[in-house]
Amino acid sequence: MTHRILVVDDDDALREMVGLVLASNGYETVFAADGISAVEVFRAQNPDLVLLDIMLPGQSGIEVCREIRAFSGTPIVMLTAKGDTDDVVAGLEAGADDYVIKPHNGVELVARIRARLRPLGEDAGMLQVGPLSLDPKTFEVRRGDAQIPLTPLEFKLLHTLAAKPQQVFSREMLLDQVWGYQYKADTRLVNVHVQRLRSKVEEDPENPKIVMTVRGHGYRAGSDSL
Amino acid sequence: MIRFFRRSLTARTVALTVLLSSLAVILIGGFLSYSLANSFYQDRLSQVLSETERAVGSVQNTVAAASLNDETALQTLLNSVVPSLEISGGTGSRQVALLRSPDQGQLQLFQSPISQNLELSSIPESLREAVRQNADSLTYTPVQLTVDGVLVPGITVGAPLSIPVAGEFELYLVFNLAAEEQALILVQNALAFGGIALIVMIALLSYFVTRSLVGPVERAAAAAQLISEGNLDQRLAERGEDVMALLSKSFNKMAASLQQQIQQLDSLSRMQRRFVSDVSHELRTPLTTIKLAGEVIFGNRSKLDPALARSAELLQDQIDRFEKLLGDLLEISRYDAGAVVAEWEQHDLNAVVGAAIASIEPLAKSKNCEIFVELPSTPVRAELDAKRIERLLRNLLSNAIEHGEEKPIIVEVGQNSQAVAVCVTDQGVGMTRAQLERVFDRFWRADPARQRSVGGTGLGLAIAREDSALHRGWLQVWSKPKRGTSFRLTLPKSRDAVIANSPLPLPPRSMEA
Repeated sequence: MTHRILVVDDDDALREMVGLVLASNGYETVFAADGISAVEVFRAQNPDLVLLDIMLPGQSGIEVCREIRAFSGTPIVMLTAKGDTDDVVAGLEAGADDYVIKPHNGVELVARIRARLRPLGEDAGMLQVGPLSLDPKTFEVRRGDAQIPLTPLEFKLLHTLAAKPQQVFSREMLLDQVWGYQYKADTRLVNVHVQRLRSKVEEDPENPKIVMTVRGHGYRAGSDSL
Repeated sequence: MIRFFRRSLTARTVALTVLLSSLAVILIGGFLSYSLANSFYQDRLSQVLSETERAVGSVQNTVAAASLNDETALQTLLNSVVPSLEISGGTGSRQVALLRSPDQGQLQLFQSPISQNLELSSIPESLREAVRQNADSLTYTPVQLTVDGVLVPGITVGAPLSIPVAGEFELYLVFNLAAEEQALILVQNALAFGGIALIVMIALLSYFVTRSLVGPVERAAAAAQLISEGNLDQRLAERGEDVMALLSKSFNKMAASLQQQIQQLDSLSRMQRRFVSDVSHELRTPLTTIKLAGEVIFGNRSKLDPALARSAELLQDQIDRFEKLLGDLLEISRYDAGAVVAEWEQHDLNAVVGAAIASIEPLAKSKNCEIFVELPSTPVRAELDAKRIERLLRNLLSNAIEHGEEKPIIVEVGQNSQAVAVCVTDQGVGMTRAQLERVFDRFWRADPARQRSVGGTGLGLAIAREDSALHRGWLQVWSKPKRGTSFRLTLPKSRDAVIANSPLPLPPRSMEA
């Protein structure tokens, strides 16, 4: 199955070049050059992943990200010229799954995309964490009868934690197992996404019962057993 | 108190003025008081003498006119002399004594009549002797009298008196100077009061005059202080057209031009920093395209003929170098803009050093360079931004490898109660004193002619220094030509601690021999 990737960047040359790299790695590509058309193209083409530049004419990548997240959990990888804290955190909080800092190389870019498109393991079965039930086949999370919509990344994060409820996961372990980073990366990715996940699955995000913080170590699922 | 005087010009001036004017007032008052007392006494004395003279004359006349032979009548006459003289005095009270001179054989029965309240102590024996010897004139002496139990000054005047039949007598008049003394005390009190009032007025005057002169100077000093603390809007009030107004005007002018220049420089450097940052960001997008394109070409170089393939390799290397340079430029512009925020976390410095060495290992191997590490056996915990410190150490290590002449590099880690330290030492070419001074300068290279093999950006040590300053740490260097170079990084254990000394010596022990 060929994945379709939406590349949003206002720089023509870079857009074309990224397209060439992705095409040579077997992806199908669609393009948008500004923030307004990005959402339109997304609706029309329904891509499997969005590669989104933050600095865009029309509306910023952060706005686009927020708009897409309002109706879709499709993976979004931001491209940013600034590695600065504010931009990155703003993008992650708007719902981006991961980010790549320019200038990046092709291998790195493809690795990030591949990690986001990788399905959950074959052996993944139904899981229960607290009052929630997770179905990896349908990416569905239910609290009783109510369905909770999660993005694939959020589902993977929750699933990873719930699969081993006795284990404390450090941020580095989660970066490796959820985001697919082999080397040290930005632990803010974990922090921001745990917050987003909690805001969806916890009854009181200030006082979490499902995604617990283990001070000085990381996170673990559930509160009863440990 | 002494500090207060040293600090306050006003207090000093007033104190000095008061001291000097007090001295003057005391001198003048003393002189006035003395000469007044003297003139009072002299006036009274001459009056006293002339009264006595008249009294003596009148007694002699009385006695002569009486021409008595009867002793009893004579005694009665003599007795009447004293009261008549007591009341005939024009001024003040006086007492009279008519004493018979001693050593006269005849007529011992004559008594010596004296005034009622007269104490004989007011007619000293020395005076009586002087009177007997001075037959022609009046003799006097100042004495102390007791009036109503109070001592008052007085004068006793005496004259010899020869009375027929009765023999030699001495007439004494004792004058009381209490009124004169009263007058003198009154004048002295007035003088003292006047003097004190004068001194107080002078003190107030000098205070206000000094305030009016020192006040503007103090305000100017306070304003200058504020300006030097960065409060550039500070100005002085300009009132009047005197020299103080001139001072204020000049001061304000100076402050304004200073402020303008500082703001100009500030906006210039802000613009420049902004420019560097913008350029770096703007370069990133095309560089990304170039990089991706270069990779595609490089990845397919086996399909190219040798010259093109080599070109692809060169292109790839230089793109990497360009990227590194751009990254460093951006980092330093972030520091210049004050936009760097450290990500504080507790870390084991041993682990950070280990990570830095692991990442530099391939470079060290390619340069045939061994790295020896001396770590403490216990964890060296400190609050630090691990990413920045690891980068800093990587920079120090790659410098050591570049300049280390393939000799072993020594990395030491140490800690004391408040600080942790890493020392990176090479045994290579070393640097001269002049070179050492510039080692942290941007884009500076110890030897421009030297072949650049490792390919640093020239910003590594400048950034390292900023990273260290961000941690409130020290980055120090020791070097000696042909011996080697040693960089020592000292960091406080917690982010708000201050370092007093480093746990590791510089130069390191290995260099001391």
